[in-house]
Amino acid sequence: MKAYSRHLPVSLLATILFAAAQLQAQDWVHTGTNLGNDRIRIAAADFKPAGGDPQTPTLKTVFDSTLYTDLGNSGILDVVSKSMSPQATPGSPQEINLSQWSAAPANASMVAFGALSSANGRLTVSGWLFDTRNTSNPQVLGKQYNEVSDQEMARTIAHRFADEIILRLGGGINGIAETKIYFVSSRSGSKEIWAMDYDGQNQHPITHLGTVSLSPRISPDNSRLAFSSLGREGWSIRMYSLDLNRMVAFPAGTAGGSNFSPAWSADGAKLAFSSARSGDPEIWVADANGGNLRRVTSFRGPDLAPTWNPKTNAQIAWVSGRTGLPQIYTMDQDGGNIQRMTDGGYAISPSWAPNGQLITFSWNRKYGPGDPGGQDIYVMDIASLRWLQITHESGSNDYPSWAPDGRHIVFERTIGGHAQIWTMLADGTQQHQLTQSGNNLMPNWSWK
Amino acid sequence: MSSLIEGSEQLERELSPDRMTAPAAGSLILHGVLFGSLLLYGVIAGFLHHNIWGNPGEGGAIQVSLVSNAIPLPNDQPVNKNVLTTENPSKAPAEPTPKAKQAVDETAIPLSGKQVKPQEKTQPKVQQHQPQPIQDNRAHFGEQSGSVIPRSTLSQSTSAPGPVSISNGDFGSRFGWYVEVIKRKVDQNWLRPQVDSRTPKGATAQIYFRVNRQGVPANFKINSSSGSPTLDRSCLIATQRVDTFGPLPAGSNDQWLDVTYDCTY
Repeated sequence: MKAYSRHLPVSLLATILFAAAQLQAQDWVHTGTNLGNDRIRIAAADFKPAGGDPQTPTLKTVFDSTLYTDLGNSGILDVVSKSMSPQATPGSPQEINLSQWSAAPANASMVAFGALSSANGRLTVSGWLFDTRNTSNPQVLGKQYNEVSDQEMARTIAHRFADEIILRLGGGINGIAETKIYFVSSRSGSKEIWAMDYDGQNQHPITHLGTVSLSPRISPDNSRLAFSSLGREGWSIRMYSLDLNRMVAFPAGTAGGSNFSPAWSADGAKLAFSSARSGDPEIWVADANGGNLRRVTSFRGPDLAPTWNPKTNAQIAWVSGRTGLPQIYTMDQDGGNIQRMTDGGYAISPSWAPNGQLITFSWNRKYGPGDPGGQDIYVMDIASLRWLQITHESGSNDYPSWAPDGRHIVFERTIGGHAQIWTMLADGTQQHQLTQSGNNLMPNWSWK
Repeated sequence: MSSLIEGSEQLERELSPDRMTAPAAGSLILHGVLFGSLLLYGVIAGFLHHNIWGNPGEGGAIQVSLVSNAIPLPNDQPVNKNVLTTENPSKAPAEPTPKAKQAVDETAIPLSGKQVKPQEKTQPKVQQHQPQPIQDNRAHFGEQSGSVIPRSTLSQSTSAPGPVSISNGDFGSRFGWYVEVIKRKVDQNWLRPQVDSRTPKGATAQIYFRVNRQGVPANFKINSSSGSPTLDRSCLIATQRVDTFGPLPAGSNDQWLDVTYDCTY
């Protein structure tokens, strides 16, 4: 009792002090690094079919599998396999028993669930994301979708719902489930530009030029596609409008000499590309409408494959052969402040990460006769020049391109003369082959 | 002859039944009963004495019932700001650090002469810092979203279904997932190789920052130093590297969220 009375003034004082601090602060949390950093374990319950429409079961299957794969592909979630999930299909917050999902074997800390119904040609999906350990206030997310009822839309809604979940749990970085990958495919006879969903679904051609088209680059607003194409004037940069579904003019890209490898600036206002109109292939920059053309580099030896820093929009990384074998360099967009990134070997195809801190490229570190090395994908930290090899001893790998979430990379892998498009996480894990037929090259991941 | 008579008397005395047996047995029983009753009393009294403590029915102890539907728990919330119940004291024990510095200053003042001494003191300083993170007086609220006693039962019981509105201070219990996001994202951006390898294991730097409604962190500062400048700096940079944690949860009415983040080497 004595001790209690002795501590009373102290605790009173502390209470008053904290109360005073509370008046200033709104809410306060305390966390730290020493508390484990595992991936969030999430369960995706099968959605509950509602209504008697005969289409519903098919749509539900498409929706469930798409949502499940999207969450698994995100790179930040550990998805509970279907065999370990409870059989329950809760269709609303009233129907879910959270302890069922948080207990073994599911052990999920999050559960996504909801209901799906199709009626009168409309598909209605209600989806929730619940925190299984927070029984008093479990809802993290609640969404409702009402769209035209078909399989494509069921897949799209699943993509959107997955992206919402990934946005919340991934700390404000949008998911990539609705993004597209543009690439070159020869499956129709000539090399044309094709597009597909990020998971390889829905592959379809964009151009039908009947010639050779290479290195497609989608604009940041997904409205235009720049690529290099062989025409009457030789290789030129051409532009395809996805809004108008036809070619549009890009006068700066057609002057004499070979024009290759266009690259959009992050604001979509400028285009950098390589042009040999002055003799040597150099990096040129033009406005997106084709005007205001200017040369940025002027060195002996070829300069190719520019890519903008999407974060600052003020720097360009590119490949230069000024010292013999191609190497990766960076510079300011006006051509100043040139820095060499790679220290040897054969380094090509840079792509700048969305956060501006990393660059990925294809590198053969031991290039030359009697020194056979593999062409592999590397990631380099620009500030420290430390690099990490992320593909190992499987084919020849080239043309890496970052996904907008900065967690995924799409690239071209050639095995036995057949080039196909693959994706992986930026640490080299979860490699998936997206294309199967024909030769498929030079992938480019859309910005959103 | 007389000796013979004495011998027979003695023999007779020895053979005759002992008159002390009955009193001795009585005494033994009495003692036994006495000890037994003492022991019994001790046990019973001990139990009774124990029972006085914390027995809800008896004695003068304070009875505690955790959550009452009728009475809101007003004054508790400001004390541990994050409203996760914990036996450990909140961050107030940060006081020892300035105390240690004062002690150093006090000894420094009476020493009139030399500048060599402060250099010597730098070493004990590090040692003083070292045990600090090991002490388990760290505030634990907000860290484990799972093991939370939901204080929001109050609002659930009183309000109709709909958006729950709860007063300040319980963000960590309501949006544990968002705290997880903060934890994970800063940790991913923390480059441990940047920390001087001589930094003692367990050294902790604490960074403060404020997250606005859009999830963008700002107002970074070192709340409490670990004693290692490289650790402090790497932790600060890790938080500054984060562009956004994503918008604050829709159910939160807060305009911003104050965060203290520990980087433990």
